Amino acid sequence: MIATNVRRLGLYLMFAFAVVSASIAWWQVVEAPQLATRADNPEVLAARRSLLRGTIFDATGQVLASSVVADGLSRRTYTDAAFTHVIGYASLRFGSTGLERAYEDVLVGQTDPNPIRDLVNDVLDRQPQPRDLTLTIDKRLQDFAAAQLGGDAGAVVAIDPRTGAVLAMVSTPTFDATPISGDPDVAQEPMDALRNSEAEPLLPRARQGLYVPGSILKVLTAAAALDAGAITPETTFEDQPREEVEGFVVDGFTVREHDLGGIQPGLWPLSEALQVSSNIYFAHVGLELGAERFVSQAERFGFCEPMAIGPAGRSLAVSASYVTAPFDGECGPFSGDVELATAAFGQGSTQVTPVQMALVAAAIAGDGVMPRPYVVRDVRAHAEGGTPSESVLETFGSGGGTRVISTEAARATRAAMVDAVNGGLGRVFAGQADITLYGIGNERAAGKTGTAELGGEQAPHSWFIGFAPAQEEGTPAIAVAVLVERGGSGSGRAAPIGGQVMAEWLRLSGGQ
Amino acid sequence: MTGDILRILLLVLQLGFVALLYLVLMRFAGSLLKDLRNAEEVQIASRSGIGRLSVLESPADEPPAGTTIALGPINSIGRNVNNTIYVEDDFVSTNHAMLTFRGRSWFVEDQGSTNGTYVNGHRIDRPVALSFGDELTIGRVRMRLDR
Amino acid sequence: MRIAWRGAELRLLLPILVLVPFGFAITNIALTGTLEVGPLHLAIGYAVMLLGAHLVLVAFGNRGDQLILPAVGAMGGIGLIMLNRLPQDLAGTSALGIELGMAGTQLLWFGVGVISMLVIAVGLRDDGILRHYKYTWAAVGILLLAATFIFGYEVNGARLWIDLGAVSVQPGEILKIVLVVFIAAYLAETRTLLTSARVRIGFLSVPPLPYFLPMLALFAVVMLIVVRLNDLGTALLFFGTFLTMLFVATGRRSYVLIGLILFVVGFFVAHRLFGHVQLRVDVWLDPFADPLGAGFQPVRALYALGRGGLFGEGLGQGLVTLGGNLTIPYVHTDFIFTAIAEELGLVGAFALLGFAAVFVFRGLRVAALARDDFSGLLAVGLTASLALQALIIIGGNTKLIPLTGITLPFVSYGGSSILASFIMVGLLLSISHRSIVGTDAEPDA
Repeated sequence: MIATNVRRLGLYLMFAFAVVSASIAWWQVVEAPQLATRADNPEVLAARRSLLRGTIFDATGQVLASSVVADGLSRRTYTDAAFTHVIGYASLRFGSTGLERAYEDVLVGQTDPNPIRDLVNDVLDRQPQPRDLTLTIDKRLQDFAAAQLGGDAGAVVAIDPRTGAVLAMVSTPTFDATPISGDPDVAQEPMDALRNSEAEPLLPRARQGLYVPGSILKVLTAAAALDAGAITPETTFEDQPREEVEGFVVDGFTVREHDLGGIQPGLWPLSEALQVSSNIYFAHVGLELGAERFVSQAERFGFCEPMAIGPAGRSLAVSASYVTAPFDGECGPFSGDVELATAAFGQGSTQVTPVQMALVAAAIAGDGVMPRPYVVRDVRAHAEGGTPSESVLETFGSGGGTRVISTEAARATRAAMVDAVNGGLGRVFAGQADITLYGIGNERAAGKTGTAELGGEQAPHSWFIGFAPAQEEGTPAIAVAVLVERGGSGSGRAAPIGGQVMAEWLRLSGGQ
Repeated sequence: MTGDILRILLLVLQLGFVALLYLVLMRFAGSLLKDLRNAEEVQIASRSGIGRLSVLESPADEPPAGTTIALGPINSIGRNVNNTIYVEDDFVSTNHAMLTFRGRSWFVEDQGSTNGTYVNGHRIDRPVALSFGDELTIGRVRMRLDR
Repeated sequence: MRIAWRGAELRLLLPILVLVPFGFAITNIALTGTLEVGPLHLAIGYAVMLLGAHLVLVAFGNRGDQLILPAVGAMGGIGLIMLNRLPQDLAGTSALGIELGMAGTQLLWFGVGVISMLVIAVGLRDDGILRHYKYTWAAVGILLLAATFIFGYEVNGARLWIDLGAVSVQPGEILKIVLVVFIAAYLAETRTLLTSARVRIGFLSVPPLPYFLPMLALFAVVMLIVVRLNDLGTALLFFGTFLTMLFVATGRRSYVLIGLILFVVGFFVAHRLFGHVQLRVDVWLDPFADPLGAGFQPVRALYALGRGGLFGEGLGQGLVTLGGNLTIPYVHTDFIFTAIAEELGLVGAFALLGFAAVFVFRGLRVAALARDDFSGLLAVGLTASLALQALIIIGGNTKLIPLTGITLPFVSYGGSSILASFIMVGLLLSISHRSIVGTDAEPDA
């Protein structure tokens, strides 16, 4: 009896052996070609270990990252930690991130696989030719912005609204990527320290940090409502002055005003409402606009799906921003009028990235055309030494923009934003963003502060978005978004940083 | 150029190594097949016998300890000489137990003996299936069922 | 005792004796670039060991299976070649002032294992000690397990080791044998005392209590191993071995099915409740999601398989280290199969599986020919546990099942594993010998 069962067992075991054999064959034969080309394959890493990697320059030709090959080992040095969250790192141990990853093949010179060329190179023992990158970011502005954030966690994003060129993109806290990218034998310890740090220095906050926007989102609400015709700059809401005091009851829930700092409520039109940042006014605007139009307008600004900086395939990823609670990776429906009304002034389930808000500012600055952001200006032949080569192989740049709202709506929003910084009421809240305070006498800034309440005892996130020059005849040259995590009120912390970064850029670009 | 020669040498050696591996495997396969053929013959030869009893202990020496008894399909055990298996022991009843081969298994059934029938030390009270290797105790005689 | 010639065994052993120094030579030429043949003393040591074992079996008249030892020798030889090729400082001991590298230490353990095997194969004339003291064995097993729970420390995520000062041992390996002996004795006994009673719940035929209770008890132990020791491999191995033996004892596929359902459900619950189990499953489903973190080992193993391809990168030419770091951590234990598949390719991997299949086939043959139920079930359990162990770890290497940290028998580095595996071979040879000769026919028994 046992013998019969043993024979059957033998058959089952042989079947198991056959299945295991098939799985081995699957990886060794069928999947082998796909495995061989993956970037973290040790075979690829081994080849890259000794390969020279191209240099990365800032917009003015300053070296940001460079490599030397010593003892058969390619070592990379990064000169400025303020750029770490843009450039990323190219580690022999942990793979690469940021631009180092997006431009991996360009930097080591192995673009478009060509078997015949590879074979010829192999026979002639020719090394692939590395290429250099030039960024759109000016190291001086980047360092300036980083210095303004100081020791706080936060982000500054500056974009040229005319071209989409990223002028600065800082995330703090940051870290020096050189130890991770140097000798792979000693890279583990610094990496572990970064991974275990409470401050989360590995998070690129500008692109992938999601924060409650607070009042800066009123710019989106205003622009959307103007574009949709839901309001005009002169629109007022009859009950608003009373509700400023008593509260605005929506579906049984009372929306209350923030502390107006002694300003007497009046029957405010758009400009005044934006200057004092009236939650009641924008709650009315949101309800007037309606849930459907609010979401569809936000989507035109790029909300509700992941964004990218740079052309497809060579881009830095930007997390999706949301005006409603995310559902299946998209903006879900509003749960009701309460959520819509609170989202209209930047609370509710809204969460945004600093890059997204900088693009909102840029779209207003660009008369309703939102630029496509990019951060790599060109690819050049590799240059030994510290100066970029003259031989430009490929340029990236203005892929044009997308019209997101009408010129009229953008102009009206812009006027209200100028008042928010310079107007009588606005100065109380966003006056610290006035660039005339920082030595730019003949230009005006536009902007909006935000104080994102987090609930409980936590200090709110401090926000500012804006652009300059913003006076009627001026052409905006820089749009910014500033976020300081738990930085307190927008007017106290983020607004002065925004004003100074804009002023610094006007000074730097004007002096060129 | 010595590098190339070395590379070719290594390739040849590697192929030789793999070839040797499979040569050994072939030899294994050969041995397996040979055993399988032998096994068939053994099976045919052994089909005539369905089992045997090995006598482990027998105080009265009938059946003698150390001998084996070839079994037919139906065997009666007892002190009566007419039983298939005759056991000379004072503790064994006249018609003590039946040992039968039914289908694929051996069964033992006590025939109402005075001192009982034991399988692996347990007294049985109904027909019980036996496996090869089981010990059967009848009186003071210990026997083992073997194939 | 009479001398019993073992011609088939000798004929199969001889080419294996050539295989090992051949592999050493290729490795050494590839690694050093010079025409040197490698560590001759290891090759000679291995040859002397295998031939010695053969001669002892001949001299003591063992008439057991003649293919098992050569199959083991071939697997061990391939393992030794690979261990000699890997960086020697991965493991090793220094005894009597002599520094033994990893391969040297492995050979030492082979020696200890082969001696244990011979003692059992030649010395175990009667299985009474195994069979009649089954509850003692169960107690020993429980003690071993308890010791692991209390004193165990963690290596590669699973807490399986106990430090005994000079050496670290894995009680799980010995526990495996004890468990098989106990189950074989238990099933052999219950089987005879049961007329084929059936308990039916709906359309499923549920095992009667004497089968069902130990199944539940073992299931509880196994789940404890998964959760407390984080060792899915050992758990799967124990339970799989038990179910296999239950199947052979009863012939009921439904029992195995019930056991498997029990295991899957239990595992699913553990998966929902415990983070580390969940992590293991997530890594299994998509190791490429985190190729530098949690998925590092399995991803690196798959890369190594891919590099090997059909014919391999060549002995000594694989990418074992990169800048002083192993490309696959634990390559000498959990991933030895991957390393072999990388350097010898699919053809080499299949050859290794072929030797394993020969071993399993012969082990089952020993079971089928065994003189009694206990011996048969014991042989089935021993063979099945070694087979399942090999299948589980190779399947883990190739992402067929979640990766678990168990050794590839006879091939992976590790004293406990080698010793336990050879003890099991010794038992198989002893069973095989007795099935042919029979203790009663031995005049000196």
